[in-house]
Amino acid sequence: MEQRPDKGPAGTAAGSLDQCTDPYLRCAFNGTAQTALGVSRSALLAHSPQGCDYLVNNAFASQQCDYMETVTLCTKLCVDEIVHGGEDLLARTIREARDLPISVLFVISACGPEIVGDDIVAVCEAVQPEVKFRLLPIECAGFRGSQYDGIDIALDTMLRKLVRGSGKKVPGSVCLIAPHANANPTWPADLAWVRQVLCRMGVPVVATLTHRTPLSEIENAASAEASIVLSHDAGQKAADYLHATYGIEQVCRGIPLPIGMTNTQRWLTALGERFDALKIAEEMVSKGERMVMETCRRKWPMARFLYRVPAAIVADATVGIPLVRFVTEEMEMTPQLVALYSSQRQVRELLDRELESLGLSPKVALGTDVYKTRKCLADARPRVVFGSTIERHASEGLSIPYIVEVVRMMRQFRLIDREYFGYGGVLNLFECVQNEWTMAWRSKEKRYQAKW
Amino acid sequence: MEKCVIMENDFIVFHGDLQQLLEKVETGEMIPRLQASHAPMCKFFTAYYVISGIRHVVPLVHGPTGCPLYMSDFVRTRECCETRGVPLEPTACTHLDESHVIYGGEGKLLEAAKEAYAKYHPDLIVILSCCCSGIIGDDVESIAREAGKLIGCPVLALRSEGFGGDFRSGYEDAFKLIMDLMEPPETKRKGTINILGARWGPNPTEFSWDLDEIERLLSDIGIRVNAVIAGGCTVEQIRHAREVELNASWCYDWGQKLGDLMQERFGVPYSRTGQPYGPTATKEWLLGVARPLGMEEKALEVIEREMREVEPDLAYMRQALEGRTAVIEISEFPGPIRALSLARMAEEFGAHPVVINVHPYTIKERMPSIKYILETGVNPEIILTKGLFHLGSFRSSKETEDELEEIVRGYDNVIFFGNSGRFPPCPVVNLTLMNPAFQPHYGFRGIKNIAALIRQALENENLPRSRLFRGMLYGTTAR
Repeated sequence: MEQRPDKGPAGTAAGSLDQCTDPYLRCAFNGTAQTALGVSRSALLAHSPQGCDYLVNNAFASQQCDYMETVTLCTKLCVDEIVHGGEDLLARTIREARDLPISVLFVISACGPEIVGDDIVAVCEAVQPEVKFRLLPIECAGFRGSQYDGIDIALDTMLRKLVRGSGKKVPGSVCLIAPHANANPTWPADLAWVRQVLCRMGVPVVATLTHRTPLSEIENAASAEASIVLSHDAGQKAADYLHATYGIEQVCRGIPLPIGMTNTQRWLTALGERFDALKIAEEMVSKGERMVMETCRRKWPMARFLYRVPAAIVADATVGIPLVRFVTEEMEMTPQLVALYSSQRQVRELLDRELESLGLSPKVALGTDVYKTRKCLADARPRVVFGSTIERHASEGLSIPYIVEVVRMMRQFRLIDREYFGYGGVLNLFECVQNEWTMAWRSKEKRYQAKW
Repeated sequence: MEKCVIMENDFIVFHGDLQQLLEKVETGEMIPRLQASHAPMCKFFTAYYVISGIRHVVPLVHGPTGCPLYMSDFVRTRECCETRGVPLEPTACTHLDESHVIYGGEGKLLEAAKEAYAKYHPDLIVILSCCCSGIIGDDVESIAREAGKLIGCPVLALRSEGFGGDFRSGYEDAFKLIMDLMEPPETKRKGTINILGARWGPNPTEFSWDLDEIERLLSDIGIRVNAVIAGGCTVEQIRHAREVELNASWCYDWGQKLGDLMQERFGVPYSRTGQPYGPTATKEWLLGVARPLGMEEKALEVIEREMREVEPDLAYMRQALEGRTAVIEISEFPGPIRALSLARMAEEFGAHPVVINVHPYTIKERMPSIKYILETGVNPEIILTKGLFHLGSFRSSKETEDELEEIVRGYDNVIFFGNSGRFPPCPVVNLTLMNPAFQPHYGFRGIKNIAALIRQALENENLPRSRLFRGMLYGTTAR
C-alpha cells in the first residue's frame, strides 16, 4: 500500500482520495498558536469560540510556556458574534488586555470569525494607538490547512510584518527556523543541541523562529547570513522567503536532520563546510561517536538483539525520515513500513533519496491517518514500531511485540528534555528501545503467590 | 457572620450563601465582565464526550482537523485507552478546507459517512457539526437521514458548533440525541435501572471508581444495571433503555436533563438524588433507587452492613470535624457540584462549610442542579474573591492563593478541603481526583477514603509544605 499524493495542503491527507480521515495533525490555527507562543514577552488572543482556546492550550504546552509569563486570552465568540460579527468584541477584549506587560499581542482568528468576515487586521489597526504593545493579527482559520500550514502562515506574517530589513549582516550568522515543527515531545532539547553545536563552531544565532524568541530577534532576522530549517514538515517557505527577500542562504537543505550517527555526521559536516569550521565538525563527530560507543559498551543497549527485525516508523517527517537510516544502519533493523504524517513534495523526495541510498523498499504511506496506519501495520506485520501512543493502541490485536514511543507520547512524560538530534540523541533513542524491551519482558502474570 | 456583603475595595467580591449567589447570578449581577476571563469547553467538545461514551460509535466530525484531533488525542487515546482500558476507537473527520467553506461540504459528508461505515463497521455513526460546517449551513441532519438509508447502521446528526451554545448544551443535546435510539419497550425488566449522565471523560470528576462503588452497592441489593449512559454503553443497551423500571444518576448535575426527558417522553421514572458523599447522601441515593423498585428492605440491610464496616471511620470524622470550619475550594478539582456535596458531608459531621470561589459561570450553567441542591437544604456560606475574575486562567493563580490564605486566617479551627496545590495555614485534605490511591469518594468506600485523607491532613499538619511546589505554582515571591 503506497500513498503518494501529489497535491494538497502541506502535511495532510487531503491529496488522498479519502473522504474521512482520523487525523494525526491538528489544524492551521493550532500551528499558528504554536508559533506565536514561541515569542517571549508576548500574549496570544484567540478570536474564536471558547473551544478553540483548548487548541491554544495545547500549543502553549508544546512551546513549554510558563503561565506566569505568558497569558492566553479568548474572545469566546457565541451565536451573536457569528450573526452580527465579532469585531467590537475583539476590540473590547484587546482593550481589556491593555495593561499586560508584553511587547506583542498576537491576535489569531479561527474558522468562525473568518467565515463571517471579521476583519481582524482592521480591528488591530484601529485599536493599535490605544495600547502600548504591538498588535499582530494572523488570519489562520483551521480550514486553511494542517498545523504545519499554520506554522508557515504564522512565520510568513511575522517575517513580513516584523522584520526590519535595513540592518547589517552579522558575519557567519544563522537564523533557525521552525524548531517546533518536530514531533519529539521535548523538541526544545533538539534546538538546544543545535545551538550548542553552532556555538562551538562560532556561528552566532541571530533569531530562532520560534522558541523563547524576543521580538527584537525577529526584527533582526534579516541580519542573518544563513538559515537552517529544523524541520522537514514546516519552515521551508520561511527559508525561501528569507532567501528571496534578504538573500539569506539556506544551509543543510535537502539532507536529513541529525538523528543517528550517520545523519549527524553528514549534517555537522555540511555546517562545518559552510561556516569554515570543518575541523571542529570532524572533532565533534569523532568525539561524539566515541562517546556513544563507549557508553553503549558500558550500558549494553538491548537494541542489538533486534538484528534485522522488521520495523515500522510512524512519525512526522522531521523525526521519521532520519529514523529510517538510524534504524537501518545503527540499530540494524529492517524498515518495512514508513508512514509519515506529512505529504509535501520535499518530504517525498527526501524520503525517496534516503530509501534509494539505503537500498530499502518498505511500504510508504505519506499523509497517513490512524486508519491507514493500522491497515499498513496489519499488512506489513512489523515486530517493532517506532511511533506514538496512538500506535500502541491502534496496533492492538496485531501481535506487535514492541511499540517504541518516540513521538507524541501521552503518558511517558519527560521532565528533562531529551534530544533526538546528535550523539546524546542516539543514546536517548536507544533508551526508548531499552525501556520498551524491558517492559515487553516483564512478566504479566505470576505463576504462584509468594508466602510472605 | 453577616452574609451577602459586597466589600468594595477588598479582595472579597461576594460573601453570602448559595441561595444569595444564585439570585445574583440570575439577575445578571455576578457575571464576569472581562470577556477574556474563564473559558470552559465549547459545545462541540462536550457533545463529543458524550458520544464517545458509546461503544463502537464513530463520531464523524464535519469540519477541519483541529477540533476532532484535540478530542481524539485527549479523550480517546489518553483518557480512554491509557487511563480507562478502553480500546482505541476511530474519530473520523471530513477535513474541510477552504474550497468546502466556499462551495459547501454536504457531498463530501455523505461520502464520508459511507466510507466511515466501510472502514470501521461501527454500530452507530454520529455526525457532529463544528463551527465551519455550521456557519456555511451544511444540512447535517438531511445527510444523516440520507446516509442512514445507504449504510448498515444508524446515522444521527448533532448540531454541535462551538459557538452554538455553552459547554452544557453540548452534553444535553448529545444526551437528547441518544434518546432517538431508544426503542419502545418489549418488556419491563424488574429490578433494572439505567445510570444516566456519565461520559467517557476526560472530565477529571468522572473517573470510574465512583461508578464502580455505586454498581457494587446496587449489585449487593440485587439491582441490575442495563446501561450506564453514556459511560461505555452499547447501542443495544441504549435501544433497550426504556425497558428499565427506573433511571438514576450518578451525578445529579449530568443525569438530570436526560432523566427528566425520559420521564416526560417515555414515562420512565427518574430518581432525583444528590451525589453519594458521606453516609446520609449515600443512604439517600441507595434508597432513592431501591424504594421505587420495592427493594427497600434489602437496601436497608446492605446499608446497615456497610455502616457497620465504616463505623470507626465515621466516628473519626465526627471527632475530627466537629466544631471546625471546613473551607472548601473547587477551582480545579474536584468540581463545583462535588464541592457542594462535600459541604453537605462536612456539615453532617458537625463542621461549618465555607465554599470558596465557585465561579458564577458554573452557577449559571448548572442552575437546575444548584436549585435542586438548595431544595435539599444545602445552602453553604460562599465567598468569591477578586482573583477569580482576573484576566486569563484563574487556576493556580497567585491572587487566589493569597486570597485563600487570607480567608483561612480569618476563621478559627479551620480545615481545608480542596487539593494539595493550595498552601493555607491549616490542615489540607487533598481531595483531588487525580490521586487514584484514595478512590472512590462516593459511597461507603468513599467514606473510608475521605476519612483516611482527613487523618493524613490532621496528623501531618505540622510537617513542612513543599517550597518547591509552592514556587512552581505561585512563583518564588509567594509567601
